[in-house]
Amino acid sequence: MATTSLITDAPDDRPSNIESTALLAGEGRTAAGTGLKRFMWLLAALSVIGFVGIVFRFINDDGRQDWGFYAATLAWMLTIFGGAPMVAIAPALAKANWVRPVARIASLGAIVTAIIALLMIPLLFKFPALTQFSEVLGDDVRRRSIWFDSRDYAPHFWNVLILLTLALVGIAMAYVMAIPDFAAIRDHGTGWKQRWGKKLARGFYGRPQQWEWLKMRIGITGALYFAMLLYTNFTFSLDFAVSLVPGWKDSLFPFYHTISTFQAGIAFTIIGVWAARRWGGMNKYVGHEQMWSLGKFMLATTLLWFYFFYSSFIVFWYGRSESDSATIKLLVSGPYIYLFWTVFFLVFIIPWWIMIWNKVRDSVWGPPIAAFIILIGLFLDRIRIYVASWSAVPDDLELATTSILQDMPDTMWPDVFDVFIMVGLPALGLLSILLVTRLVPLVSLWEIQQSRLITKPVRFLRSHVQLVGKPD
Amino acid sequence: MQQRRILDEFTVNHELLRGNLATPKWWLPTVLGLLVVVLFGFTLMGIMFNRGLGVTGLSRPVYWGLFITTFVFWVGISHAGIMISAILRLTQAEWRRPVTRAAELLTVFSLLTALFFPLIHAGRPWRIFYWITPYDFARGIFPNARSPLVWDPFAIGTYLTGSTLFLYVALLPDLGVLRDRTTGWKRSFYTVASLGWRGNPRQWRLQTVAGILLSALMLPIFVSVHSIVSWDFAVTPAVEGWHSTVFAPYFVVGAVHSGVSAVVTMMALMRWLWGWDNYIRPEHFDALARLLIVVACAWLALTFAELIFGVYSLEAPERALREMQMFEWPWNLLFIIFFLTGFAIPVPLWFFKRVRNNIAMMFWTSILVNIGMWLERFLIIVPGLSRKQPFVFTWDSYQVSPLEWGLLLWSFAWVMMLMLLFSKFFPLIPLFETKESQVFTTDVQIGRVTMPAVIRELD
Repeated sequence: MATTSLITDAPDDRPSNIESTALLAGEGRTAAGTGLKRFMWLLAALSVIGFVGIVFRFINDDGRQDWGFYAATLAWMLTIFGGAPMVAIAPALAKANWVRPVARIASLGAIVTAIIALLMIPLLFKFPALTQFSEVLGDDVRRRSIWFDSRDYAPHFWNVLILLTLALVGIAMAYVMAIPDFAAIRDHGTGWKQRWGKKLARGFYGRPQQWEWLKMRIGITGALYFAMLLYTNFTFSLDFAVSLVPGWKDSLFPFYHTISTFQAGIAFTIIGVWAARRWGGMNKYVGHEQMWSLGKFMLATTLLWFYFFYSSFIVFWYGRSESDSATIKLLVSGPYIYLFWTVFFLVFIIPWWIMIWNKVRDSVWGPPIAAFIILIGLFLDRIRIYVASWSAVPDDLELATTSILQDMPDTMWPDVFDVFIMVGLPALGLLSILLVTRLVPLVSLWEIQQSRLITKPVRFLRSHVQLVGKPD
Repeated sequence: MQQRRILDEFTVNHELLRGNLATPKWWLPTVLGLLVVVLFGFTLMGIMFNRGLGVTGLSRPVYWGLFITTFVFWVGISHAGIMISAILRLTQAEWRRPVTRAAELLTVFSLLTALFFPLIHAGRPWRIFYWITPYDFARGIFPNARSPLVWDPFAIGTYLTGSTLFLYVALLPDLGVLRDRTTGWKRSFYTVASLGWRGNPRQWRLQTVAGILLSALMLPIFVSVHSIVSWDFAVTPAVEGWHSTVFAPYFVVGAVHSGVSAVVTMMALMRWLWGWDNYIRPEHFDALARLLIVVACAWLALTFAELIFGVYSLEAPERALREMQMFEWPWNLLFIIFFLTGFAIPVPLWFFKRVRNNIAMMFWTSILVNIGMWLERFLIIVPGLSRKQPFVFTWDSYQVSPLEWGLLLWSFAWVMMLMLLFSKFFPLIPLFETKESQVFTTDVQIGRVTMPAVIRELD
């Protein structure tokens, strides 16, 4: 039986293109409400506190170990904001239609990577050179790193360069993905938004060739961003964590770091979707389908987090060498044992048991709860890793070049300046995203319109289904 | 999707059951030829059991050689089934439909083959039973339950059971079709095998739910199997190059790389041998090649991490091993072949659409991948054992004996023979999936463009 004879029309309650345009690009886009304004002022105040924290951190500086919480906060921000754009890229490359309404929320995370690159500068002053022991131990003595025979400050230089490239590619991608929306704002908006829309649309009028170019640019920047994110996680996690601990040799750790970046990126997007529904009036555009699909990915990355952690752990556990045991003690069973178990529950056990139920995944409240728990858990995880690594400063210089961590550091607790930094810097990231959303619609208008064009609610025999076109 | 053919149910039944209801001319000579090789292989095994492991090249200190390499290789190939069938089913990838049966079949037969190798490697395989039945209570000799070597048979056994069940559940509707189109003993056989399948709504619902549940259940088993195989090596700090945390995902991703490539090889053969041009189309090779590009890049990243961390520790023995693997004869030649065939030749080629849609090119590149992946396992296992350690005084280099090469050949002939035997009795492309695809896909007109469309559930 031909399929077409089984399909009949069904009522279509999706917002019309005129309605979408008015809400996302035209008069419907009102100025920030009082609540949002207050929230943004609060974030601005917290950001200032964060900078105060950095200044006082410099003034009260007793050595490398004092900068562990700063490194952990930056790593957490990279984890969340750097990972979020992957939600816009990966499903889009696989032609998943559900991702269209959330692609903008996810891609905006890339804006913050530029801030992370700038915030890394203070950390570089505290980051040891490769030949830090050469004055005492001789010119040929270098600490272990992936920059084998490079110059002393190779990690400093390359990490900044890599992060800046990530930021550049990420912002380019977010911008390219927003060009048709800028054109819509130019044509339907008013005031300063219209002026900015005109400038940023760069003559986009939706001609076939312009769409072809746009598609190609999104593809190229997306693929580049993915590669750069992997590379950034690789170098950042190795240079700012693994290489600082004598004897920690873990070839899986960069991938563990990357997987948790994907996990956090999805969690951030889920919370963004929830916020867009709760306060942004986007209920008609983002909903169950997005939560359900994102929830499945979050469950998958949660399971992968455990798999990557366990794959490392079992090798250390069975290895039983002195360096293996010291690494386990530092990161799991030693000074951060309570933190480790908290992380284990927040990042794996609790989200797993929440997200395993299809009814929960298919709700608008279940995934955000799990996502929030995961983000908190990953923050503690970054503290566990980076604070431990930055506190592993060997007393004996010779031990620093050996393959065993001899002196187990004590548990590091944050002081008031660390708290300022931990609160202020993520607030700055969030503020920058909210500022951008004043101009760029939170839900991509052109993606919504394209989705409306290639999908259609229909009845298939007695079922209500969706007919999804698959463009080449 | 792009090259969809509209086929009625009669045509689907007629074309896909052609191999089951009649015998192609090439089938019997091919099976007989393979049978000769298989019997030759069993003879070699008999010789080895009779004379002992001395007839192989295995000797102190290289106790793990070609047999264990081939074991890991076939376990790797077995990952094709779940990757293609379970993951693509869960993600509702429409192009999976003609590929699933062949992939599941490859899983079952390659696992069966993989199981042979630890058995014959033991030299006296009957002693394997002592692992299962502790025999000497008085001396306290028990299998070490904490060893991944003991977990291996359990993981592989569970995977084999699950995969067989997975294959069988997906076969039920097709067995019902075969029952209704055969006579005599074949009809009796299919009647029993189809478990009373009538295709009523309740049976379809149960079959669909079972498929999804098994897909979800098989995924963790799929990951655990090759992870445990990797831990056979990784938890051993004594051997240079083995004690690496990345091994578990490295082995799993490598297995998917080789498994999906093996599916490509098999799909090309099926299209050529049975003339299933309407079902196995260039678009399927295109989709598989795209999947392979992603998998191969992930595998390359893990390979890079594995190599760089070998040097990272700045420890002399570890560096010496890497130098030996990459720069010393004959390992350097093997390393170059491994890298060229495993990644450098096929992956750049797959970036071109013309290559992805060219079935002959896909066939040969997929074979290249599996040559590379076999060499990868060999290069992981043997050099680490071969390098001279301090205080070891008996030394010899490992030379693969003709008997071992013979058994490697046997394993390929064995898998192919089992596949061909299966193809005589069961359809290699699922009939019900093909028909379902015909119903769930259509064309839509958007502006001046006609594009394929699929029907998706609303949440």
